[in-house]
Amino acid sequence: MKFDWTFFFQSLLTPSPAFLTGLILTIVISVVSMALALVLGTLIALMGRSRFPILRWVAGIYVWIVRGTPLLVQLMIIYLGFAAIGLFKFEDLTILGISLLAAVQAAILGLTINESAYVAEIVRAGLESVDRGQTEASMALGMRPGAAMRWIILPQAMRIIIPPLGNNFNGLMKNTSVLSIIGVSEMFLVAQAISSATFKTFEILIVAAIYYLALTTIWAFAQALIERKLNAQVGNDSAAVPVFKRVFAPRVRKQLVLEGAENA
Amino acid sequence: MPDSPATLAAPEVLVSANKVCRSLGGRPILSDVSTEIRRGEVVVLIGPSGAGKTTFLRTINHLEQIDSGDLFVNGHRVGYRKLDSGRLIEDSTRTLAKQREEIGFVFQHFNLFPHMSVLENIWHAPVRVRKIPKQAAVADARRLLARVGLADKADKRPASLSGGQQQRVAIARGLAMKPELMLFDEPTSALDPEMIGEVLDVMKELAQDQMTMVVVTHEMGFAREVADRIIVMDAGRIIESGSPDQIFNNPQNPRTSSFLSKIL
Ligand SMILES: Nc1ncnc2c1ncn2[C@@H]1O[C@H](COP(=O)(O)OP(=O)(O)O)[C@@H](O)[C@H]1O
Ligand SMILES: [Mg+2]
Repeated sequence: MKFDWTFFFQSLLTPSPAFLTGLILTIVISVVSMALALVLGTLIALMGRSRFPILRWVAGIYVWIVRGTPLLVQLMIIYLGFAAIGLFKFEDLTILGISLLAAVQAAILGLTINESAYVAEIVRAGLESVDRGQTEASMALGMRPGAAMRWIILPQAMRIIIPPLGNNFNGLMKNTSVLSIIGVSEMFLVAQAISSATFKTFEILIVAAIYYLALTTIWAFAQALIERKLNAQVGNDSAAVPVFKRVFAPRVRKQLVLEGAENA
Repeated sequence: MPDSPATLAAPEVLVSANKVCRSLGGRPILSDVSTEIRRGEVVVLIGPSGAGKTTFLRTINHLEQIDSGDLFVNGHRVGYRKLDSGRLIEDSTRTLAKQREEIGFVFQHFNLFPHMSVLENIWHAPVRVRKIPKQAAVADARRLLARVGLADKADKRPASLSGGQQQRVAIARGLAMKPELMLFDEPTSALDPEMIGEVLDVMKELAQDQMTMVVVTHEMGFAREVADRIIVMDAGRIIESGSPDQIFNNPQNPRTSSFLSKIL
């Protein structure tokens, strides 16, 4: 066994332009998919609470199917399956001067759909955690359902919703590695290409792993800051827990989140 | 009955209920409830648990639906349009919200908004619903807060207040909408005994200021002192109605006597 330290440190500290482009694509696809999934997932969650049974049905079936099937299968159906039966074929596009390859479009669509179902469940649970009396008090003050949702229910649900959403974004960033299978040149596909060109398979995979770890760790700090701010807004004691401790002692954090929910 | 009732000609009648019926799961909850409440009148609603007091109170601002009957507040049918066939069609959420702006509701469990300061709890609906300029609404909220004796709590969170203080804030929140009518559903039942007085005092002052009030309560001292009229409900019906003197000293219905003997 021989580990090429020179190659390893070179790849880690001065990654090739191709690798950096892959890293950026990983980040962009993650952020865009998550942002779209937040919108779509919230819509699905609201549909699930609609007065109209048909909308509740559609929302329920959507979540059931999307959560019950693997991401990879969903991606393949969207990218290859639809094209194979002539339903829909992704074409390379240029929007506002940014070129979007067919596979990238399919990737964003697939990740958005997949993630939206989980977001919908998280948002639903968050909305349900808000006492029914809050809606009634809003109605009694002359608020319409939309206003009650916007000003009263959502802000309170947010504290329940944010922590699991953050965890899901962590998962989504790692899941982008499966995009290599439909040919999206994100970080993992570039790493595989470097591996077959240099045969330094172990070294480059460790480098890729370290970059994923860096992404998720940076996000963990961001998430901790957001949660701390949210808790501070409602005057919750757990706001005092330092960010560093939140990131590296997740069990402590979980307890505090639950306490926060009870204090609502 | 047409949508413009005869009571329009007699504007001193603020609430008019005629044969209001409500059943849930085939079980009658309200049966032919009829009464009229004049402007400035303080009506106390008493009766054993499960009599339908809460349900009737909630029909007045349409937090609860009705199956049949006529219910008017200030000459407008509450919650429905009535077709020539006699069928009730529920109003749009916009119309319902407009109707509720004129009716304050104080809940047993306060239902203050926990994510807002005490002051914002009070100015929020005037600003968001009534579209009153924020500066004016905040000034008004401070005035109301002083009126319920809590001027120093403006920037506190509701959760840091005692139950009695929270209920006084809830009353101020209702008054901030400048309603024509205030409904109270057991406003002191969730309070420690030593806090009941401070809430009842605020309500007494409100009564002296000629606010029209419908109060569900078990505080018979308050009923005797403040009520212009007492309505006794049992098993979904109004079984008796009269001045405090009549009800307490000369009840006509044996079930009234038996209820009063248990509670006094
Ligand atoms: N959502 C509901 N579903 C079924 N029954 C209900 C519901 N709400 C109230 N009830 C029943 O209606 C009756 C009247 O309730 P309520 O108006 O709360 O009485 P009160 O306020 O006088 O104690 C009770 O028997 C109660 O069990
Ligand atoms: Mg009740």
